[in-house]
Amino acid sequence: MTGHVVTEVTELAPEPPPKGIRVWLKENLFSTPASGVMSILALLVALAGIRGILGFIFDPTRRWEAVTYNMRLLMVQAYPAEQAIRIWFSVGTVAVLLALSLAVWRVGGRTSPRQVGGTLFAVGSLALLGGLLGPFSTTGKIGWIVVGAVLAGVGYYLRNGLGERAKEESIPVLGAVAVVIGLVLVVIWTIELPFPVRDTAGEQVVSFLPIASSTRVPWTIIALVGVASYLVMKFARDLLPAVPTRRVLVGLWVLSYPVLVLVVLRDPHVPLDRVWSFYLPLAVGFAVVGALVLNVAANRSLGELGRVIGAVALIVALASFAFQMEYVVRFLLLAFAFFSLAAPTFGGEGASRRIFLAMWAISALLIVFFYVMATSESTVEVPGAFMLGGLGLTLILSITAIVASFPIGLLLALARTSKMPLFRIMATTYIELVRGVPLITWLLVAFIMLPVALPQGVSIGGVMRAIGAMTFFSAAYLAENVRGGLQAIPKGQYEASQALGMTTSQMTVFIVLPQALRAVIPALVGQVIAIFKDTSLVTIVGLFDFLHIARAVIPGQSQPFNFLGTFREPLLFAAVVYWMFTFTFSRISLRLEKKLGVGER
Amino acid sequence: MTMHETTPERVLGDDIVIAEGVKKWFGDFQALKGVTTRVKEREVVVIIGPSGSGKSTFIRCLNRLEAHQEGTIIIDGTELTNDLKNIEKIRSEVGMVFQQFNLFPHLTVMDNITLAPIWVRKTPKAEAEATAMELLERVGIPEQADKYPGQLSGGQQQRVAIARSLAMKPRIMLFDEPTSALDPEMIKEVLDVMKELAASGMTMLVVTHEMGFAREVADRVLFFDYGTIVEEGTPEHFFTNPQHDRTKLFLSQIL
Amino acid sequence: MTVEVREHQKTPLWRNATFLKWVAQIGVLIALLALFALLGREALKNFNQSGISFGWKWLSDPTGVDIREGIDTSPDSGVRALAVGMVNTLRVGISGIVAATVLGTLIGIGRLSKNWIVNKLSTIYIESIRNVPLLLQIFFWQAMALVLPQLTTDDVGTYWFKASNKGFGLAWFRTDGGFWPWMLFVVAGIVVGRYVSRYRHRIQEETGRITYPGLSWFATVIVFAAVGWFAWPILRILAPVWHGIASFFRALPPIVYPIVGAIASIGFAVLWIRNFFESRRTPAGFGKLTDDDWFRVIFAGFSGIALAIVSFVIGGFVLTTVGGDKATVAELIGRGIANVFDWFGRSFEVTSGSPIVGSRPEVIVKGAGFVNFSEGGVVMSVPFFAIWTGVTLYTASFIAEIVRGGILAVPKGQTEAAMALGLRRSQYLRLVILPQAFRIILPPMGNQYLNLMKNTSLGIAVAFPEIVQVGTTILNQTGQSLPVVLVWMGFFVTLSLGISAIVNYYNRKMMIVER
Ligand SMILES: Nc1ncnc2c1ncn2[C@@H]1O[C@H](COP(=O)(O)OP(=O)(O)OP(=O)(O)O)[C@@H](O)[C@H]1O
Ligand SMILES: [Mg+2]
Repeated sequence: MTGHVVTEVTELAPEPPPKGIRVWLKENLFSTPASGVMSILALLVALAGIRGILGFIFDPTRRWEAVTYNMRLLMVQAYPAEQAIRIWFSVGTVAVLLALSLAVWRVGGRTSPRQVGGTLFAVGSLALLGGLLGPFSTTGKIGWIVVGAVLAGVGYYLRNGLGERAKEESIPVLGAVAVVIGLVLVVIWTIELPFPVRDTAGEQVVSFLPIASSTRVPWTIIALVGVASYLVMKFARDLLPAVPTRRVLVGLWVLSYPVLVLVVLRDPHVPLDRVWSFYLPLAVGFAVVGALVLNVAANRSLGELGRVIGAVALIVALASFAFQMEYVVRFLLLAFAFFSLAAPTFGGEGASRRIFLAMWAISALLIVFFYVMATSESTVEVPGAFMLGGLGLTLILSITAIVASFPIGLLLALARTSKMPLFRIMATTYIELVRGVPLITWLLVAFIMLPVALPQGVSIGGVMRAIGAMTFFSAAYLAENVRGGLQAIPKGQYEASQALGMTTSQMTVFIVLPQALRAVIPALVGQVIAIFKDTSLVTIVGLFDFLHIARAVIPGQSQPFNFLGTFREPLLFAAVVYWMFTFTFSRISLRLEKKLGVGER
Repeated sequence: MTMHETTPERVLGDDIVIAEGVKKWFGDFQALKGVTTRVKEREVVVIIGPSGSGKSTFIRCLNRLEAHQEGTIIIDGTELTNDLKNIEKIRSEVGMVFQQFNLFPHLTVMDNITLAPIWVRKTPKAEAEATAMELLERVGIPEQADKYPGQLSGGQQQRVAIARSLAMKPRIMLFDEPTSALDPEMIKEVLDVMKELAASGMTMLVVTHEMGFAREVADRVLFFDYGTIVEEGTPEHFFTNPQHDRTKLFLSQIL
Repeated sequence: MTVEVREHQKTPLWRNATFLKWVAQIGVLIALLALFALLGREALKNFNQSGISFGWKWLSDPTGVDIREGIDTSPDSGVRALAVGMVNTLRVGISGIVAATVLGTLIGIGRLSKNWIVNKLSTIYIESIRNVPLLLQIFFWQAMALVLPQLTTDDVGTYWFKASNKGFGLAWFRTDGGFWPWMLFVVAGIVVGRYVSRYRHRIQEETGRITYPGLSWFATVIVFAAVGWFAWPILRILAPVWHGIASFFRALPPIVYPIVGAIASIGFAVLWIRNFFESRRTPAGFGKLTDDDWFRVIFAGFSGIALAIVSFVIGGFVLTTVGGDKATVAELIGRGIANVFDWFGRSFEVTSGSPIVGSRPEVIVKGAGFVNFSEGGVVMSVPFFAIWTGVTLYTASFIAEIVRGGILAVPKGQTEAAMALGLRRSQYLRLVILPQAFRIILPPMGNQYLNLMKNTSLGIAVAFPEIVQVGTTILNQTGQSLPVVLVWMGFFVTLSLGISAIVNYYNRKMMIVER
């Protein structure tokens, strides 16, 4: 509900103690008497905190098996287990795309042993402290202390024992990441977690099984495939032309999401005869005839007539809603109107014209493809409403809302900064009204009012309603972020574009938006974080998102195991998962901020 | 002091810019109080005058970066009104170079130059790039094509800006204090490009404080004060024998 | 040969830039209105089919709504139930704002501290709190409170502080007879103190003697409050005055209110148009207005007239009051104002009690074996605790970052310049750094306050009866969804306008200081 502000976290690790621990302590903790008192108080708070948290986690009455047993529920809710391969395929696709992108964009620099050592030292010290303070059995205590001491020792050596070599940036970051992935794999194959089972008498007992006992095979495969594809791309990237490769990858990212959600996860039952008899001819017809018309409309010699074609196309598209016809035709007409309005200004000549026409043809085919996929019955049988719940639903909600709100937010921001007063008034009213009222109100409106307000025969499912409300809500916030970028563009940029004879739309597309968006990328990532957190509100209107399962479903379980009233454990687990996502995002935002800042000069 | 070289003979053509009683208000402030002048084809007109006298406002009215409110402006036979087609036509015929360069920072030098030819003039990309390379050679920085504006010096940036305008094959070029934001050693490289342009027969309106340039290149000098043309004439007449008190005062202050 | 200056060429309409601009704008506006009209018609049709017709009768009708906590737990009308919800929202919101500001500022400063461990703790706080959804945190606090011990008959007694799964009892103050007359003294103290401090400020400027203007203001208020504590019964003489004002408003014909509203809106429009013309006045008269300008003028005038008409329409709107009789909104406004003054009059008639008394929470047996807190002290219920703790801690983490950013944004040169002038650390912090940091901090801080207010609406998830929760309950009972939603929007939009007005006011004040 808030614009999540990501601000820079300055490197807090204190300078290493080259002059010995005593000097370090004096400088950083006991510089003045007041500081000393504060240090001691803060130290007490910290120790009490660590002890409290460990005491809570390792309290024998905690029922963590409520989390481990319900992991599938938490992740995907009721998605059928025999179809799980679809989910693994989706996760794997994302992992491979991620690995390829990391390679192609050459992400990841090098880090020094000193930094790695510092991290190890901190983790080790924490483990050591935990071992001393935590409520463990003697063996447990010894284990913690030994592990902590070893880690801290290795860290300390890396940091201080290597001399000057420690400062060299010799460790590739991604290599370190690979090592961590390897360690995680080792952990999920070896370490065991509580898991409720029934003994011979049918009584519930807690037994210990390896982490992810049922999913470690797919996880391992995905990790290996990901690493492998990174390595392959790392060698291939020098052989491939850079710019086209990047474009293809961006295209794959864009397409992957709808394909994964609509096709892979839903596995639609496509009516093949209708595809051959209707959809395919429709798509090809639109693509070909449309391209021919666009080719004419883009002609410079046509003058104003080119714009007339666009206007006519728009009127036809709008009028199509007054007549009975398939929705797909209306969509195609709308898209065509959009393209033909753009044709005189963006149609170009020669190669650019061919690209423009190809874009139209591809759009037409994609529209039909996704329409067919979205409207076909899903063959994945899921009891209840939506195919995915839990974390899956949370991700679908946030990604869809963010992606869908982006164009709306852009338009709103442009309208709000426009010189045309009516557009400005309309955009300002919308933005201020939406932002002034809390998201939960809009969700309630979407769930209580919308069903009644829709025309007869049209109904929208709960998930779609939530997505709609979140989209329009987040568009208002996005618009404000983008507006900041728009206002930062110097007046000279507009004047230069006008003096070169660009139309307003060309100026917006080629000059204004690229600069404005670049300036607001960190703010946009902040917005992504905010939306991701805000999706949790759908639990109030009864959708089975991640939070809902953690807070309502698991504590309500009495079968097969009795977890009634187990509130805190699932909630804490959910908090950690949410935290990992948002924290990662905010780090990405920081990196982007730095990188863009550097790129300016 | 008489360094006045003879300008290479340029045959002046028809009137290509006609301004008749052009008036312009900013709110309640009148910046132009009836400017009337005509510029012939291939003529180089230098506009000078004190700060705030309306020089920039006038030449910005000529390609409708500002809309004049009274009077008539005719460029190459097309009257400048709020007729979109006329504005479009005039803007693609009139190039402009700004004091602050106003290059597009997110595009390379090459893209800066080819953007408008490709999308406004609808030139095929390959052709536009060839032209751009020619222009970059003409302004003397062909090796900078793939850099970003932020990586160039001020003088180089301004030369890219000139090349960018020329890429649209304009018939008239407007310069608004093109050298004011530059260090002395960079001024020369930009002025050289402008001289070469004048010699090649481009119609130019130049607002500048470079009196040397005015003497050497201008066919005519306009002196602006308080939103009107106070005095105009050949550079010779203007610098050696000014008529008006304001002109004398101004020249005594800057020379 | 020269080209002749022809007469103005006529621009065809479809190429006229101004014309096209307006066609586009009005076209989009009409399209949007049409869309809304279409949806609205459809919605009304559907509602009519299901037998619901929207209206405002539910505001005055008795409700069966029971509210778990607030100024009235069984309100007798919809409007009163909403009022209870609004007060609850404001209670959480305002106390949360105060607490979050204090906590956030401390943590923000801690984040800048050179003390390693303080610094680390602040960082950990910020990074862990703001990266977890607020709703989850609220649920977590609720879960934590619900595992507290139950109240049993052993707990009966009076406490300074008592934690239980029924909530937290705290010793607190409550107002008593004579509170309002005493408040009048305090207000008078504030007003008089202002003059005192101004006077002393002038003396300080004239003579250079340090006169502590701020402190003297404070002292004046204390003196007035102390005197008022004993002297408040004197103010009984004011009671007839309040009643008099009340009867004045009662006697006023109700048509006055819409007239005032109409005059205000038309006056505002006229004023705006006049200022606009003034700003566009040129030596050559008004002829220099562009089409855009004309449109703005017409739009302003049109809105003024429309608002005037709306104020008459609303004023003439007939409502059924709680008593069961019908009255127009204008009449109700008049009655409302009169009632407020009457209520003042009655509070001034009291002669016993003292303005503020302390009270402590008490655990008593209510009915057979049912143990709970009684009226004493304040009792922070579990829902209140969950929502309050949640929004406060959450907002504090954002405020901390804002404070830190604001302080860091003051250039280092400022500190150096101040030290070069010989200012001491406390002086340059107070006189140089903080004023500048404050200016940077203020706007985002206002945003956070607004967010906090809006986030209280998550109370619906833990059954805390704030405005959205109460509204939902009413909505479920009466089916009056549209009016309830309008009430929500009205409430929150007013809140945001209020907060941004305050922020803008201070912002402008700072700007003037800057010049
Ligand atoms: N957008 C504007 N709004 C209001 N006033 C303006 C605007 N642009 C220019 N003016 C005013 O119009 C007058 C003429 O400005 P102009 O920029 O044409 O002067 P100039 O002769 O170019 O001066 P300089 O040599 O300083 O560039 C100035 O007084 C200026 O303040
Ligand atoms: Mg100027």
